[in-house]
Amino acid sequence: MVPATVEPAATAGRHRPSAAGWGLRGVVWAALAYLVLVFPLGRPATTVILYTTAVCYGIVALSLNVLLGYVGQISLGHQAFVGVGAFTSAYVVTEQGQSFWVGVLAAAAIGGGQALVLGGVSLRVRGLYFALITLSYGLVAQDNIFQIERLTGGGAGQPAPKPQGFETEWRYYYLCVGFLAVVLYLDWRMMRSKSGRALLALRENPRVAATFGINVRLATLFAFVVSGVFAGLGGALIAHNDTFVSPDPWNFNLALVFVIMTVVGGLRSRPGLVIGGAFFALLPYLIEQIPGFDSLLEAIPAPRDLSPLIAPLVIGPLLLIVNLIRFPGGIGQQLRPITRWLAGHRFDLHDRGLKEVQITDVRA
Amino acid sequence: MSVLEAHDLSIRFGGVQANLDVSIAVGELEIVGVIGPNGAGKTTLFNMITGFYTPDSGRIVYRDTEITGMAVHERAALGLARTFQNVGLVKGATVRDNLVTAQYLQADYGTLSGMLGSRHSRAGERQLRARADTLADMLGLGDLLDTQVAGLPYGTLKRVEIATVLATDPEVLLLDEPSSGMGPEEAHQLGDTLLTLRDEFELSIVMIEHHVPLVVRVCDYVYCLDFGQMLTHGLPHDVRSHPQVVAAYLGEDPEPEVLALEAQLESLVETD
Amino acid sequence: MGGLFSERRSLLIGIGATVALVVFLIVVGEEKSLVIGLTQGSAYGMVALGLALIYKSSGVFNFAQGEFGTVALYVLYLLDIKGNYWLAIIGALAAAGLMGFATERLVVRPLFEAPRVILLVATAGVALLAIGVELWFADAQAKPVAKAFSRNDRITVFDVQITDQRLWLIVTLAALAVLLGLFFTRTNLGLAIIGASQEPTATELVGISVRRLSSFTWVLAAVLGGLAAVIAIPDLGSFGPGAMTSNYLIPAFTAAVLGGMTSLPGAFVGGVLIGIIQSVATSAPLFQDGGELAIPGVPSTLIVFVVLLVVLVARPQGLLGKRA
Repeated sequence: MVPATVEPAATAGRHRPSAAGWGLRGVVWAALAYLVLVFPLGRPATTVILYTTAVCYGIVALSLNVLLGYVGQISLGHQAFVGVGAFTSAYVVTEQGQSFWVGVLAAAAIGGGQALVLGGVSLRVRGLYFALITLSYGLVAQDNIFQIERLTGGGAGQPAPKPQGFETEWRYYYLCVGFLAVVLYLDWRMMRSKSGRALLALRENPRVAATFGINVRLATLFAFVVSGVFAGLGGALIAHNDTFVSPDPWNFNLALVFVIMTVVGGLRSRPGLVIGGAFFALLPYLIEQIPGFDSLLEAIPAPRDLSPLIAPLVIGPLLLIVNLIRFPGGIGQQLRPITRWLAGHRFDLHDRGLKEVQITDVRA
Repeated sequence: MSVLEAHDLSIRFGGVQANLDVSIAVGELEIVGVIGPNGAGKTTLFNMITGFYTPDSGRIVYRDTEITGMAVHERAALGLARTFQNVGLVKGATVRDNLVTAQYLQADYGTLSGMLGSRHSRAGERQLRARADTLADMLGLGDLLDTQVAGLPYGTLKRVEIATVLATDPEVLLLDEPSSGMGPEEAHQLGDTLLTLRDEFELSIVMIEHHVPLVVRVCDYVYCLDFGQMLTHGLPHDVRSHPQVVAAYLGEDPEPEVLALEAQLESLVETD
Repeated sequence: MGGLFSERRSLLIGIGATVALVVFLIVVGEEKSLVIGLTQGSAYGMVALGLALIYKSSGVFNFAQGEFGTVALYVLYLLDIKGNYWLAIIGALAAAGLMGFATERLVVRPLFEAPRVILLVATAGVALLAIGVELWFADAQAKPVAKAFSRNDRITVFDVQITDQRLWLIVTLAALAVLLGLFFTRTNLGLAIIGASQEPTATELVGISVRRLSSFTWVLAAVLGGLAAVIAIPDLGSFGPGAMTSNYLIPAFTAAVLGGMTSLPGAFVGGVLIGIIQSVATSAPLFQDGGELAIPGVPSTLIVFVVLLVVLVARPQGLLGKRA
């Protein structure tokens, strides 16, 4: 749910659903729970790996949202944050012989640490210029950091075995769902506490935030660390899902896919972000599943078939642009009447939440 | 004994001397007015006192502590609060969220505790919300708590802003043109509100104000700025009838160059 | 407000620094890295020029600027196989221009009221779309591009052999920079483009519609991006999907930032400066394998990052730019 949720004045009185209303909601909740928790049990291992990736992308979207959605700083190098987490955990487990749990902790810590350093160095730089720094940093990660053979195994990559007790794809899937639930909880609580509100205030108006006694620099750094910790965690989970990390996938294209899934999912909307992340992770698979999609693509005079791996790069940006122009709130805003209803509020088809306020971003 | 003192503040922007040797003093529970034509440097003075600008020379003392070099949020923590000419609110949020956000320093739980949703932090949150409700009721905003700030009429925004500043638990309130956008009736009401708030919250108030009847009615002391310098100061009636003040108000419009500069600076002020 | 330096003076400082660096390199016998730096740098400068042009006229950080070039390269590659090299170049530039036009019409214009950060995300989306389509229609394999002067004749300047292609590149880009300078200072259309950002109404008075001008600016910037690509890449021999984005976009942005983002000559000079710094630093034994500060992977990426960081953190308005 959007953190600053408010009912429009007209429906301000607390709505109490009838027994039938609760029953109906219960059915939908049960269906959702079935989809997430039971349905994967009957699917083949190769598909479950994809589902796990979808869950991890949800964590990445939540991580990027902390910067992009809450403090309004755009990171075009988030693949570096996630990739560092992946390599850290693989290194700790494979080279140091530590357990998966130590690896995940280390990944979250290093993820937060690098975000703190990058954020600390470039704190003076906001908005468009900050985007530039993160893009450049992403390239450095790809071209330099991930090429350090001692840490990443260079081109050969680094194995990242699944943890003890979670060796099967199904068990590991549930583990990742658990981690996603933890991240969702932390994010939800943060936005309901003073720290989250401070971020929203300084995003819109740092001057006003400062007069409220908020240390704008410190609060921004805090957001960086939170985003870095989530990203590092997501990376570690991705690494152990693939059971192998190599430097190749952590490139500029991936960084943009991350940004796109976050924006298309819907900034500041937890359900939207999870759906956005999952959608882009599953896009290659979905394309193969949708009947008739093949013949649609056949009609395009391309010399080659659109391979499922490339599909997100073509379809993603198109969705993004349509999204930005027609539905700036993303999937989350479109789903809002339903998510609000599920939470026990009256169904209001026109509920789109709070209006987006024009942010005075970088002036020049 | 003064709560807040500014000694000989001066600041230049490029070729323009925005303030030169400006001094003011605010006593305990006093309401002090700052008047002067547009472009006289009144908001610049506020920006130096609250920490958005650092003066080129001069000192600012708050309860025997020199605060000249302190950051905005540190001064807020000491009890200095201000409003803005163009309304300082988080416009994307609701009235309630603004009132709760403004109590940032009153929240007595830690960041981590809040993220984990500890029992202690939840209790703390309930307190903040209760106080937000109380403040909203006091300023007649009870019905608007769940309404988004953006879209409210200007006069209401001004009241919401006063409620949020009070939420920061201030000792000194700096109000930048609190009556702007209000009719004479509303302005009169505002005067009553200010007097009540001063007594109830034990505040000292500094206000930049154009509405002269309001200034005369509520202020204990008045400073008049012109072209960045102190023209005169004294009791409200004396200042109002001071020939130079009359001349300054009736006199020619300020140089458009100065006005443009002020507007530009206003939009440029960042967090530090 | 009075600037710290006037634009002209800061440009002179930039040119002065570049010339001093050139002389220094010749004196210490580093002509080789100088030539590499100059070639690379003028291409950066040309891409940076497009970036600054678009930023000046519409306030957009155009992350699709690199892909204007890559698309041009693919068209050059396709047409070159079948026929005349020079016609292929014209086709390539036309394709880049078309892409610039489409970007402005379909993406930038509908989002004109949106925050600039959203526009940045949108142009980054355009870049990714281009990369996706390149991967789809071609493949990940590197494609060779023919050189205009395939005989590889060399001339010798300061004991350094320079291939015709490189010479052609430097001369063309430098000449182009001068032509653009004249265009923006001497012609009505050029002055209108510069003026539109500051004074829309004044531009309307000259009789040019601001909307049309915006389209034209994007086309011009895209053609510049394409030109930089078709001239510079043949020197490297081959290219792959996203080539101009991964290798040229960030150095070019750094160059534009060095120039203060809105100064056209500043952006070009900044590009040349970045090219030389990059070439000198990568050839320094200190940073090479076995050196004390050996940089793993591709050293130039890290060097550009450091320059960008230093410039932005130390002087956000750019080395050559004037103060806000």
